[in-house]
Amino acid sequence: MKRTAGALLLLLAAFGLAAKMLQVQVLRANLLAKPDFLSAGVLAVKKGDRLELLETHGSWYRVRGAGSVMGYVHQTAVSEARASLGTIAPGRKGASAEELALAAKGFNEGNEKKLRGSKGYNFADLEWVMDWNPAAAEVARFIRQGRLQ
Amino acid sequence: MKRLLPIALCVLLFSWKPPVSLSKLSKAKKGLDLVSGAAHKITEEEEYFIGRAVAARILAEYPLWKSREATRYLNLVGRTLAWRSQRPEIYGGYHFAVLDTPEANAFSAPGGIVFLTRGIVAMTANEDELAAVLAHEIQHVVAKDPLKAIKSQRLKALGTFAADEAMGSGGRVMGVFQESVLDISGTLLQKGYSRGQEKRADLGALELLAAAGYDPGALLSMLEKVKAGEKKKVRAFSAHPSASKRIAYVASGVDRGAGGRNGSARTARFERALSRR
Repeated sequence: MKRTAGALLLLLAAFGLAAKMLQVQVLRANLLAKPDFLSAGVLAVKKGDRLELLETHGSWYRVRGAGSVMGYVHQTAVSEARASLGTIAPGRKGASAEELALAAKGFNEGNEKKLRGSKGYNFADLEWVMDWNPAAAEVARFIRQGRLQ
Repeated sequence: MKRLLPIALCVLLFSWKPPVSLSKLSKAKKGLDLVSGAAHKITEEEEYFIGRAVAARILAEYPLWKSREATRYLNLVGRTLAWRSQRPEIYGGYHFAVLDTPEANAFSAPGGIVFLTRGIVAMTANEDELAAVLAHEIQHVVAKDPLKAIKSQRLKALGTFAADEAMGSGGRVMGVFQESVLDISGTLLQKGYSRGQEKRADLGALELLAAAGYDPGALLSMLEKVKAGEKKKVRAFSAHPSASKRIAYVASGVDRGAGGRNGSARTARFERALSRR
């Protein structure tokens, strides 16, 4: 009986001590060497990547990413990852609740495709606008040259 | 037998499914979330896609000024500000572009796509004034003001269509998507935000300018130019409250000692990038 209670306690402790995981919620972001956008990037991450939360520094998180690379990410780039138990629990089929909610609202890529070519929408020029993505290093240089912060 | 007990407990724990009543509660909550339709319920990804559609609609109304030098420069100033905002990371990143029209205006689509017109760019005398216009628009993105322009009835309707869409019939949902785009573009181009939203964007812009090292007073000088234009009946910021009202609260919020030092370091690049204004 003692062994059973011990095993149960061990199991509960394991759940309590489980690392808190975050998930990247933006298309692209960088883990940075310091909690400042002006610092060097140490790892490029993308939507859906999972990061282990190590510490909180104001509005920044210190995290561990792929290859155990550690760095800082701004809290607006990530959300709390859902517990992975759901993914291994039996009986899960098809889209997640989030995927269904997204589809239900209709603000998605599928409906954008239906709009393409419609009168009153100019997606060709939009792509020209969306292609402008200055690299973080270029923005940092621009800030320094302009004596900004 | 005793040894098997912990293993059995583990198996039970991992294979446990919530009772039906809990599952029903969860579905009901999801329905309520959809029906409540508040802007904060729209995810980053949804905001991105509706923002793209709104931007595509604006680009059908106004030609785009495809100056590579000006657009590159505008994106660098914009990103500088966005990094110091309350919402530096956004689903698809911030994007800034200039519309080729003499009308003086600026607006931001959901998801961080910000447009300035050549008319407003021509009114700016230096990088700090350009930054002031961008900072105001970024604050609308931070506050998700464009999303709040979606009429609540649209999202309420989506709540009732949710089951249909999940089954794959999305015609009515597509209609709501288009109507939501029209709600937002109508607010951006004609109706305008509420005075409260504009005031919050102005006051937030002052803080953002100071945080990035720009002169917050540049917002005041831009509003004074807009006010002068209003007297001459120049069409400027047609969807914004009058400049006189904005000047009153912006002037009291400007900390003359904050930021804006070393403005000369920015003059050359401003002139170079926007020389063909």
